[in-house]
Amino acid sequence: MANAKSKEQVVNPIGASFTRNDVYEKVTGSAVYADDIQFGNKLLYARAKRSPYPHALIKKIDISKAEVLPGVKVVVTGKDFPNRIGLYLQDKTIFATDRVRFIGEPVAAVAAISEEVAMKAVELIEVEYEELEAVFDAEFGASDKAPLIHPDLDKYVCPNFIFPKAGTNIANHFKIRKGDVSSAWDKCAHVVERSFKVPHIQHVPIETHIAIAQMDEKGKVTVWASSQSPFAQRNLIAHALHISQSDLRVIAPLVGGGFGSKAGVTMEAIPVALATKCKGWPVKFLLTREEEFYTNFVRQGLTIHVKVGCDKEGNLLALKNIMYWDGGASTEYGTNVTRAGGYSSSGPYDIPNVETDSICVYTNHPIGGAYRGFGMSELHTGLDQAIDELAEKAGVDKVTFLKKNGVAEGDVLVTGMIMHKNGIQECIDNVAKSLNFNEKEKPSSPDRLRGKGIAAMWKAPAMPPNPGSSAWVEMSEDGNVTVGLGGQEIGQGTFTVMAQMAAAALGVPYDKVRIAGPVDTQYSPYEWQTVASRLTWSMGNAVVLAAKDARRQILETVAEAWKESTDDLDIINGVVVSYKSERETSLENIVIYGMPKENNEGWTGGPIVGRGSFMPKYVTNLDAETGQGPRAVVHYTVGCEGLDIEIDKNTGTIYVLKGAASFDVGKAINPALVKAQVEGGFAQGLSSAMFEEIKLVKGVMTNPSFVDYRIATAPDMDFPLDTPFVEVPQDDGPWGARGVGEHPMVPTIAALGNAIYDATGIRLTNPPYSAEKIYLAMLDKGLVK
Amino acid sequence: MINPHPGLPELQYVKPATLQEASKFLADNAGVAKPYSGGTDSFVRLRDGILKLDYLVDIKGLEGTKELSFDPQKGLTIGAAITMNQVARHPDVIKHYPNLAEAAESVASYQLRNRATIIGNICNASPAGDTIGTCMILDGVLKVHGVDGVREVPLNSFFLAPGRTVLKPGDVVVAVQLPLPPKGLVGTYKKLGRNRIGDLSIVAVAVLGYPTPDSASGYRFRIALASVAPVPFESFKAEGVLSGNKITPELIDEAAGATMDSVTPIDDVRGSARYRKQMVKNLTREALTEVWTKLSK
Amino acid sequence: MTLKTITLTVNDLVETVDVPQNMTLLQMIREKLSLTGTKNGCAAGECGACTVLMNGEPVNSCMVLAAECEGANIVTVEGLAKAGKLSTLQDTIIEAGGVQCGFCTPGMLISATALLKRNPNPTDSEIRSAIVGNLCRCTGYVRIVDAIKMAAK
Repeated sequence: MANAKSKEQVVNPIGASFTRNDVYEKVTGSAVYADDIQFGNKLLYARAKRSPYPHALIKKIDISKAEVLPGVKVVVTGKDFPNRIGLYLQDKTIFATDRVRFIGEPVAAVAAISEEVAMKAVELIEVEYEELEAVFDAEFGASDKAPLIHPDLDKYVCPNFIFPKAGTNIANHFKIRKGDVSSAWDKCAHVVERSFKVPHIQHVPIETHIAIAQMDEKGKVTVWASSQSPFAQRNLIAHALHISQSDLRVIAPLVGGGFGSKAGVTMEAIPVALATKCKGWPVKFLLTREEEFYTNFVRQGLTIHVKVGCDKEGNLLALKNIMYWDGGASTEYGTNVTRAGGYSSSGPYDIPNVETDSICVYTNHPIGGAYRGFGMSELHTGLDQAIDELAEKAGVDKVTFLKKNGVAEGDVLVTGMIMHKNGIQECIDNVAKSLNFNEKEKPSSPDRLRGKGIAAMWKAPAMPPNPGSSAWVEMSEDGNVTVGLGGQEIGQGTFTVMAQMAAAALGVPYDKVRIAGPVDTQYSPYEWQTVASRLTWSMGNAVVLAAKDARRQILETVAEAWKESTDDLDIINGVVVSYKSERETSLENIVIYGMPKENNEGWTGGPIVGRGSFMPKYVTNLDAETGQGPRAVVHYTVGCEGLDIEIDKNTGTIYVLKGAASFDVGKAINPALVKAQVEGGFAQGLSSAMFEEIKLVKGVMTNPSFVDYRIATAPDMDFPLDTPFVEVPQDDGPWGARGVGEHPMVPTIAALGNAIYDATGIRLTNPPYSAEKIYLAMLDKGLVK
Repeated sequence: MINPHPGLPELQYVKPATLQEASKFLADNAGVAKPYSGGTDSFVRLRDGILKLDYLVDIKGLEGTKELSFDPQKGLTIGAAITMNQVARHPDVIKHYPNLAEAAESVASYQLRNRATIIGNICNASPAGDTIGTCMILDGVLKVHGVDGVREVPLNSFFLAPGRTVLKPGDVVVAVQLPLPPKGLVGTYKKLGRNRIGDLSIVAVAVLGYPTPDSASGYRFRIALASVAPVPFESFKAEGVLSGNKITPELIDEAAGATMDSVTPIDDVRGSARYRKQMVKNLTREALTEVWTKLSK
Repeated sequence: MTLKTITLTVNDLVETVDVPQNMTLLQMIREKLSLTGTKNGCAAGECGACTVLMNGEPVNSCMVLAAECEGANIVTVEGLAKAGKLSTLQDTIIEAGGVQCGFCTPGMLISATALLKRNPNPTDSEIRSAIVGNLCRCTGYVRIVDAIKMAAK
C-alpha cells in the first residue's frame, strides 16, 4: 500500500535544532513541578529543628511540648533513624543522632496541618547541646591538631575506590604518582608555584528542594521529589529506613534546576521519616530559600597548592598538586569529587611527571555535594592560572602554550589511561579566533584597563565503575512512539534529545515520539542518576538500543508477513518500505496487532516493546598509592573558554566585552540545545567568578539570601558570547555524542583570572574576583590612586 | 543562624478609613502595630523574625497618601502610597527633579519599584536607602500625622540611627514635600553595587549643584552619601570646599577627598570599610564632575 | 485568626476568596485558586519567579498581601494565552530557545509582557533592566533577551 509519508523529505533528527518537547507546558504555566501537585486536605507540612552550633554533642532533646501543640501530627528525632547512608562513603544520618556537625543540621522534624503550626512546634522543641571545638579550615582539619568530627570513620562503609584515613578528619586521600616529579624540577627551565583558595558556592536552583512522602497502611512509601536521582534516592532512602527498594516508589516531576544539588539524598529523607509515623498522610517539605543556601548541598571549598614546570620551549614537564577539599560535615558524595579532582588533576594537558594529593577533609561547614563540574571548576581555577603564569615566564604566547601541551590521542594520562581522539586544538583555536586573542587591544577609555584571558579544560563523567542506563520503547495504534527512561529533565533538554535519538533510530518523525514522564521508579526503567553530563551518551545508548530493538521486531514482523528479507526493508518517516518490492505499510496498528500472514496462515508479530540497556564495562580501579590503572574513566570532554574584558579604574568593576566558549561534544544531536547549555554554563561560571561565595564566619553563612548572595542577572550578561562547538566523535556514543552539560562552567574563573592578570598584572588567587578585590589590589600596586 | 518563615508569620491586616483612625490604632497598639505601604522592607523583616508584629496597618489610600503633584510655587508633593516607578516616570519629576527620578529608578527591580515607596524608603531609615539622600539635599520635609495632629519634620532631623527615626507610636508619614529646586539646579545619583544594577548600594552618592551669588565659587553643591555612615549622611565638609574657591578639577578632587575623610564606614557583608572610603571618593568625584560639566555649560 | 473575604479579578474571572490575613497573593494564587503556574522561588521579593500583573503592573506576588487585593485585577502566566492561542512572547520564547528548566519562565513572561506594553521597541539594555528582577540560572539570559527582541518586532 503506497504511503505518501515515505516520499516526504526526511529530516534527519540527528543534528537538527528541533523545538523542545517540554516547553509548551512551561510557557503556559501548566508544567507540573513537585510543589504544584495537589494533595488535598490531608496534606501535612514539615519543618525542621536545626542545629545552631557548628559542632556540639546533643545532650537532650525534649519534644514533649511540640507533640501536644494542636495541629501537630508527629514529631521525630534522630534516635528513630540511626542508619548511616551515603552514595560513596556512608557517613550521613537523616537527622543528627549523638552530635551535630554543622549549623543548620536537622535534629528533629515536625509534620503539622500547616507550615505555621509546624514552625511554632519547631520553636517548642528544646535541645541541649554541649559545644565542641570546631574545624573551619580544611588544611587545619587534616592536621593532627584538629578535633575529630567523625571519630567512627573507620566503621563507615565505603567502596574500594575511596580511601578514608581512620583516626583523622580525612575522608578520602587520592594520590597520583606518575613519573618522577622530584627529579623533574631540575629539568625545568621555568617553574611557577601558587596557592589558590576557592570558596564554597551554592547551586541556586530557582526551584528550592522539595519532597512529599506518604506511607500506606502496608508500609509502602511513595515520594514525590524534585530530583535528579529517583533511583538513587529510592536506594538510599530504603537503606536508611530498612525498607526494601521495591517498597519505596519515587516519582520525579519536572525539576526547576538541579546543577547537582538534587542528586543523591539530602532533605528528601526527612518527609519520608515523618511519613513513616503517620501512615496514610502525605507530608510535604519545601525548603525556604535560606535553607536552600546553608542547610543543603553546597560546592566544597578548595585550597589548592600548584607547582608546575616546563622546559624552555614551554613543554610541561612536571606538576605537583596538593588539594585540600573543605568537604563539610558529611562527605558521602564529596569523597568522589576529591577522587575526580585527583584523577583529572593534570587538566587537559600532557604532563609526564605528576604528583597529586587530593584530600577530602571533614569540617564543620555545610555539606559539600555534587556541583556542576564536580571538582573541575575548582581544580582549573588554580591549575589554569598557574599555567597562564608559566607561559608568560617561559615567554611563550598563551595560545601556543595551551596548544603545545593540549592532550592528544595516544597520550598517557595521569592515571596511565590512554587518551582518545579529541578536539582540544580546535577548541583553543576557536576561542583564540573569536577573541582576536593575540592582538593586544586598547581599552575604550583612559578610565579603563583591557585584558584577555584564556583557559582550557576537561572533564570525565564522575561515576562509580558500573553506572547503568536502561530504556524501553513501545508504540500505540496511532503509530506514535513512547520512550520509557529513568533520566530526568532538569532543563538541559534530555527529553527532547532522547526523542530525537529514538526517532532517528526507529525511523519515525521526531514529533511522533513522546517521553513517558514523569519518571516514576515503579514504571520507568533504571537510570543511575542525572548527573555527570552522562545522559546524552549513556541513556542515549540505551534509548537507541531500545529503539533499534523495536525496529528489529517491526521489520521481522513485516518481513514475515511479506515473505521478504529484513535486509530489504526500512522504516522511513514512520512507514515501512521494501526496497525490493516497493511495498509499503504505515506503522499504525501493526505495532499492536501484528500482521496477517498470507494465504490465511495466521498472524505474525504482536505488541512491539523494545528494550535497551547500557553500562560501560571497561572502567577499572586505580592503585591506592599511585592512582594508576588501565582505564580510570569512560572518556573526557575537552574545551576552552576565553574572555575579553575591561576594568573600570575607578571602581574595579569588570565589563565583559566578549566571551568565547568552545567544547568538543562528539556530535551535537540538537545544536541549539548544546549552545543553550554552553550559554547557561558560561553564565553560571562567570557568576561564580565575579560574585559568588558562601561567606562563612565560624561556621555561620552570613549571606544566606539573594540580598547578599549575588548571582548574575540579565544586565550582567550583556556581551556577545560565541559558542562554536567541535565534533570529534566519541567511539561509544550515540552518533558519536558525548556530554557537555557541566563543562561550560569549568574554566570560566580561570579565564577571568587570566584576563584580569593581562589587564592589570595582578594575579588574584581567591575568587570571586569582585570589583572590591580588583580595585584594592590595583590601589596596592599603585595602578590607581 | 537565621530561620525565616516560609511565608509571613501570623498577623492581622488592618485598613483604617481615616488618618485619625490609623494614628489611634497605631498608638493604642504601640510596639505590635506598624504602618506599611509597599511592604517590601517590612515583609522581609517579618519573615526573618527581626520585626515582630500583631498588626500591619495599610495606609495606602488614606488622605494625602496618593498625591503626586507639582505646584510651580510650592514644589513636589509625594504621598506615602506613591511607588518608585510612579515617581520615576512622572513628567513633572523628570522635568523638575530628574535626579530624584534617577535615584528612584536605581532601586532594586521593576517589580519591587511597583510596590516600594519613597516614604517607605525614608521611614525604613536604612543608611543604604537610595532616595533618602536626594530628598535630603532637596530639603525635603515630611508631613506626619500623629495622635496630636499634623506636623512637619525636615528630613535632616529625621534620622537617629540605622532603622531608627524620630517617629513616635501613632505616627503616619503622609507625604514628603520637596520645595521648588533653585534655578539651574543639576543633580545626579551615582550608585555602586555588586551587580551592574539592581543591588543594594555598597556606596552611593547623591550630588546636586546650582548657581548662587551667595558663595565665593558662584555655586552651591549638596552632597549626600549612602552606606558609609549609620544614617544617610550629608557631607558639609566637602560642600564647604566647593563654595570657597573657583571650581576646578583639582577642587573637585579635594572635595571628593573630603567626603572620604568625613566618613567612617564599616566592614560588612557587602563591602569593606577601606573599599567604601575609596569608592565614596571616586563616586563623589565622578558625580561632581558630571554636575559641574552641565552647570558650567 | 479570622479570614478575610476578598473579591478580585484573576485572568478575567471574578473570584471571591477567603484568605488568612497573613497570606500573600502568591500563596492565594497557588493554594486557593490552584493556579500553580506562578512559582515560589524565595518568598523575599528577590528572584521574580512569583511575578504577576497587578492592575497592569508587574509585582512580586510574594510581597503583596492577599488581604489588600480587594478589587484588584491580577494576570498570571495562565492568563497570557487567549482562547488557546499563545501570546507572541510565549511563541517567541519557545522559538528562541529561551526555556530550559522553565521555573523562571512564568515570571519572566509577565515582566516581558509588561515591558513590551509600556515600551514596544526596547533596546537591549532596556530589556535587561526590565528583567533584572527575574533570576534565571539555566539560560544565561541569552535566548530570553532574543525572544523579547523577536516579540518586539
